[in-house]
Amino acid sequence: MNLDNVSVVITGGASGLGAGAAKLFIDKGAKVAIFDRNLDLAQTTATELGCAAVQCDVADETSVIAALAQAGEINGTPRILVNCAGIDITGRTATKGGPQPREALTQQIAVNLTGTFNICRFGADAIRKLDNLEGEEQGVIVNVASIAGLDGPFGQTAYAATKAAVIGMTLPMARDLSAYGIRVVTIAPGVFNTPLAASVLRGEPDDYAGSVPFPKRAGKPAEFASMAVEICQNPMLNGEVIRLDGALRG
Amino acid sequence: MDINNQVAIVTGGASGLGADTVRALAAKGAKVAVLDLNLDLAKTIADEVGGLAVKVDVADGDSVEAALATVKAELGTARIVMNVAGIGIGRKITNKKGPHPLDSFLKVVNVNLTGTFDVCRLASTEMIALDPLNEDGERGVFVNVASIFGYDGPVGNTAYAASKAGVIGMTLPMARDLAPYGIRVMTICPGVFDTPLAKAETGQEGFNRLIATVPFPKRGGNPKDFAKLACHIVENTMMNGECIRIDGAMRMGLMI
Repeated sequence: MNLDNVSVVITGGASGLGAGAAKLFIDKGAKVAIFDRNLDLAQTTATELGCAAVQCDVADETSVIAALAQAGEINGTPRILVNCAGIDITGRTATKGGPQPREALTQQIAVNLTGTFNICRFGADAIRKLDNLEGEEQGVIVNVASIAGLDGPFGQTAYAATKAAVIGMTLPMARDLSAYGIRVVTIAPGVFNTPLAASVLRGEPDDYAGSVPFPKRAGKPAEFASMAVEICQNPMLNGEVIRLDGALRG
Repeated sequence: MDINNQVAIVTGGASGLGADTVRALAAKGAKVAVLDLNLDLAKTIADEVGGLAVKVDVADGDSVEAALATVKAELGTARIVMNVAGIGIGRKITNKKGPHPLDSFLKVVNVNLTGTFDVCRLASTEMIALDPLNEDGERGVFVNVASIFGYDGPVGNTAYAASKAGVIGMTLPMARDLAPYGIRVMTICPGVFDTPLAKAETGQEGFNRLIATVPFPKRGGNPKDFAKLACHIVENTMMNGECIRIDGAMRMGLMI
């Protein structure tokens, strides 16, 4: 899909991978709305990048419907949805202190999995109702999982489950939406230089990069963004999960 | 890695996916060597982009060594190597005629798997001697071509699927082997693309039947889209050790 003037929603767009993606999509001529739970941060980022900021709690259906409508009013109905919003609550399944709280899983399911599902189902439904663009494509969804969803390290059972679920949705969702000319591709990032990674790793992501074969550093949000843009521009990429991790296996 | 001014090798570069990869790399400023069994066809493509045509049989070790030596002498050591050369045969493991002949199995394995390995081991040895390019210490990148048949192979494709699954399987350990030298290894797994190889295998009717099973876009892949992804892989340093399906969400069913 040609990105020029296309309306794009990037959830979790106020920081990290989402902000990196927003910058590149704007550079490519897209009209971007960044969704974030933190409206202040979203507005700061949006002002810096020159795009729209919309408050959205992806876990909350009402909030998702309202935010997509607002993005539609500002930029036109979004045809590209990039789901970067995510949380990571670390904790072992059981320790001396007892079992991991159930909420560790349910809270992450709400944001990482249900949140992604919410944006996809309401966003795709809106694309479905649009007049067809010239050419074959009507929309693209880029979901964000994690290599933890494929080879999760300790302390990541709950997070890994939600990201594996995003990976699992990719093919059936691509099949569901193929009739409407909407593609679905998932990126599974390794260790990236983001606030989320810094909080989980309790330090600088780059310090953790010794185990990455090559390049021996944390990924840059700009590299994630470049992959997301390639997915949107390349019509043959569909139903696939792509690791972006410098060959790291957890 | 910035493609501009780099030396690039594309095996199987004279037609199909390889030819458009040659064009895409040249358009981004690479000095491209078109390696192919068919030298006349390789010359046509090389002339088109101002590149170098070199005859190679990737299944023949001496031929690979000679071709790489020619590239090195004419253009310099390649930092970008794309292994696109491949062949396929349709034959069940056994049928009325008897068991699958071993020689045709080995021929496919020799070209698709051993050929890819041979080019990688020789070209990476040359790359290691180069200076790193950037602050990451990047020296080079390999893009190997497998197939979705390496994951979900249809009837009559045991040899082809084995050879392509072999290429998929080499990706991570080769990336790990070459990581200390700043050399990346990635694999692309194309679905059904509009190429002479695909159509030779299926015929036009089989090709039409196949693309009817692609979820979206419902057509054969355009080699330009393959080439675009291949260039993206070169340009995105974080991509390493991964196999990417490019298939319009197709999963291969029982039959072609």
